[in-house]
Amino acid sequence: MTLLEVKNLKKYFETPKGTLHAVDDVSFTIEKGKTLGVVGESGCGKSTLGRTIIHLLESSSGQIIFDGEDITHVNKKKLHQINENMQIVFQDPYASLNPRQTVEETVAEPLLISGRFRKKSDLEDETGRLMDLVGIDRRLRLAYPHELDGGRRQRVGIARALSLNPQFIVCDEPVSALDVSIQAQVLNLLQDLQAKQDLTYMFVTHDLSVVRHISHDICVMYLGQIVESSPSKELFTAPLHPYTKALLSAIPSTDIYAPHKRIPLKGEITSPINPKPGCRFAMRCPHACEKCSTPQTVEELLPNHFVACCRGKALNQL
Amino acid sequence: MGNQTKTVEERTRKESNFRQILHRLQKNKIAMTGLFTIIILIVVAIFAPILMPYDYTEMDMSNMYAKPSLSHFFGCDDLGRDIFSRLLYGARASLSMGIIATLLSTAIGVVIGSAVGYYGGWIDNVVMRVLDIVQAIPGMLLAIAISAALGSGFFNTIMALSIGGIPMTVRLLRGSILSIRNQEYIEAAEKINCSKPRVILKHILPNSIAPLIVSVTMGIGNTILTAASLSYIGLGIQPPMPEWGAMLSAGKTVITRYPHLCVFPGLCIMIVVLAFNMLGDGLRDALDPKLKN
Amino acid sequence: MQTTKQKETSFLSVKNLSVEYTSDDEVIHAVNHVSFDLQKGKTFGLVGETGAGKTTIAKAILRILPQPPARIKSGEIFFEGEELLGLTEEKMRKIRGNRISMIFQDPMTALNPIMRVGTQIAEAVRLHENCSRVQSVEKAIEMLEMVGIPGERQREFPHQFSGGMKQRVVIAMALACNPHLLLADEPTTALDVTIQAQVLDMINELKRKNNTSMIMITHDLGVVAQACDDVAVVYAGEIVELGTKEQIFTAPSHPYTLGLFGSLPDIHSDSQRLYPIEGLPPDPSNLPQGCSFHPRCPYATRACSDRQAALADLGDRHLCRCINLEQIQKGGKKP
Repeated sequence: MTLLEVKNLKKYFETPKGTLHAVDDVSFTIEKGKTLGVVGESGCGKSTLGRTIIHLLESSSGQIIFDGEDITHVNKKKLHQINENMQIVFQDPYASLNPRQTVEETVAEPLLISGRFRKKSDLEDETGRLMDLVGIDRRLRLAYPHELDGGRRQRVGIARALSLNPQFIVCDEPVSALDVSIQAQVLNLLQDLQAKQDLTYMFVTHDLSVVRHISHDICVMYLGQIVESSPSKELFTAPLHPYTKALLSAIPSTDIYAPHKRIPLKGEITSPINPKPGCRFAMRCPHACEKCSTPQTVEELLPNHFVACCRGKALNQL
Repeated sequence: MGNQTKTVEERTRKESNFRQILHRLQKNKIAMTGLFTIIILIVVAIFAPILMPYDYTEMDMSNMYAKPSLSHFFGCDDLGRDIFSRLLYGARASLSMGIIATLLSTAIGVVIGSAVGYYGGWIDNVVMRVLDIVQAIPGMLLAIAISAALGSGFFNTIMALSIGGIPMTVRLLRGSILSIRNQEYIEAAEKINCSKPRVILKHILPNSIAPLIVSVTMGIGNTILTAASLSYIGLGIQPPMPEWGAMLSAGKTVITRYPHLCVFPGLCIMIVVLAFNMLGDGLRDALDPKLKN
Repeated sequence: MQTTKQKETSFLSVKNLSVEYTSDDEVIHAVNHVSFDLQKGKTFGLVGETGAGKTTIAKAILRILPQPPARIKSGEIFFEGEELLGLTEEKMRKIRGNRISMIFQDPMTALNPIMRVGTQIAEAVRLHENCSRVQSVEKAIEMLEMVGIPGERQREFPHQFSGGMKQRVVIAMALACNPHLLLADEPTTALDVTIQAQVLDMINELKRKNNTSMIMITHDLGVVAQACDDVAVVYAGEIVELGTKEQIFTAPSHPYTLGLFGSLPDIHSDSQRLYPIEGLPPDPSNLPQGCSFHPRCPYATRACSDRQAALADLGDRHLCRCINLEQIQKGGKKP
């Protein structure tokens, strides 16, 4: 069943230089228990997208439908409910924890506020259970964030996100700031938790290799728009959009005997402020043509595989 | 990371930040000297009536302007009163005014600063412009003006002293809050249904308090100096209540002939201000965990 | 280990380098007995995670470690025949920025925000070459063009450039005096992957043109594959495996190297689960007894905590620091 449906979502910021189109007409659905990977480079709007969906930012237009209910505009009381259903794990394990709170206090705070645990012993039990769930030694409950390493801090953040028993969690680059060997630990943890608690994730990252492992479906964003979305494996075996192809080819390969040919991109990323109509990638695209300056339509070129490119069919011989 | 007497895992009681800070402070010899001096001065001020060899009002005209001797450690003033006793008793006035006035201005400043910093908007603009105006008046002049308007006396002087300190506290706190407000843990707090007051009290204030503590300790030294200046020009504390600034003022006409009337009160003021500054510097270093790591 | 002949032709030779940091009560063993050689025109990769000591090694070569709290406990660094650690600061300053240059990780903080970009490059040039102000600015423009930035932009300030372009400016600055040795500390980590690819290509091109030798510090094995000729894997301040790129990638031998390869999410594989290295990197002020990696090693035996292994030659100068190599290879690689 569809847990989250996003329709034509837009988030614009007014700046002195003009309107910044951070998220521009984004639509997708996520099934319960699945992970949607949202991939893109800096400035593509993926973090803004995540934050807008869970109401850390107010959307400019469009619809957000959660569990069948339209939650685009909510009052304070409804927001409280939403917070118990939709949570977030942040990127920076250093900035996402209050430096003056112990692990125990951080994890227990949402429980305290919710009022569901009046007795001290119940609260302690639940806090302990959450710590076990994310793999932190219970003896560390009195530790402060600066006494823990990045991986453990991130686990505390995950425990906090889980404390209100949400159904949906936005993971905003949760492993980007961690060492490679710790990344793998935390990714495994997130996958285990998804299986155990039937969680639904939106996994935001710039790291394509990480997203393949954890996602069921992936969408690729560029300057606020989704340029391609497909089931996870297919994005890597059959990328259709020129940007996706370039992105995949840019990843340095560890196969020293068969390095793939890199698709070079011209120039730098253009500005998301007052963008011109049409494909925003055209300026850097090796296959740009005249039609690219008109608004692109999203076509389903393969089953469940959507691409926003006027030359998509032609370039891939479909 | 593994250098406490117990490891992080072995901890059974919450080791509050306070103890960690105290531990760091203890290593700073200058700060400990300052702290020690302040403690001695406070003890002296509290037990002054017992410690004074003479009553602070006791006049002995035969000893007018007496030089320091074994019977009068710091000599006598123009009315034959024992300077040492008056200094001991005067510690009460100076220290209490300095501490109370500073704490009062800090308390008011924290309330205004946290509201303004967290809510922002037009309140922020209006309040900051009002404070701009207050701060545009030199602190000393402001204290004089208010003191003259309210009249002399202990409580009036405290009011005069505290108003000048409010803008700085507000600015400090507001700056702290602005830098913390966009941190992810504040976003996280809002996401777990933290009410706005709770966010301020539990998340923002504890993390913005550090610069404030430093400014409070340094502020006390400054306030004592201002109080002394007020008394020097005849406002503030009135005789016969001894106050170091007033004593300094009384001795200024005879400074060339009988310097001891000015030297000892002056030394006291200098020592107390220095002590608070040394402590304040040490606190600033101890409160910054990044410096240690 | 080396004949005199080899020593003379070695462009850079680090011998037995050990660096420690002291803070009030603890001693951090950042670099422990590190030795390696770099041939002229080649790129040497230092691979490892945060805190492994790679940056400290580079800073020691350039002698920009703050002493105190850092202290070079032992070692010698031979660069083009000269021993660097024994030189006076004055002599070292002539080498720094001139014959040895460094690119730091974060382009945001490597440039002075209130100086024009062209001025910063020109300053570097004037420091080391006898030329007029006009000539140095010309050289700065030339360098900018070489890294793909239009020359007119030399009048702009760093904040007017994007992250990728800032890093290119930093590279232009580092290469302005045609250094013989370039130390690159995670030069592309902070950049987007498409920009990273551009910058790596550019570095390789410039290197080839000028026959610059390079030490590339990174945690990304993909970057190593693309840019390096020889590789050293660093763990807890020690080199645990050393060899050519081919040797390391086709026959990784040390359990840590194996673990690194195993924990990498691979875009080409279908595996659903990652195989992380258990445990956490060690506390450098409190390193484990014996082999620093043994608490996390799936192949550890009792002997591992007793003694430090020496670097053993696996053949063809592929070195590995592990006493259990035979057993590991016999038993096949663990998944």
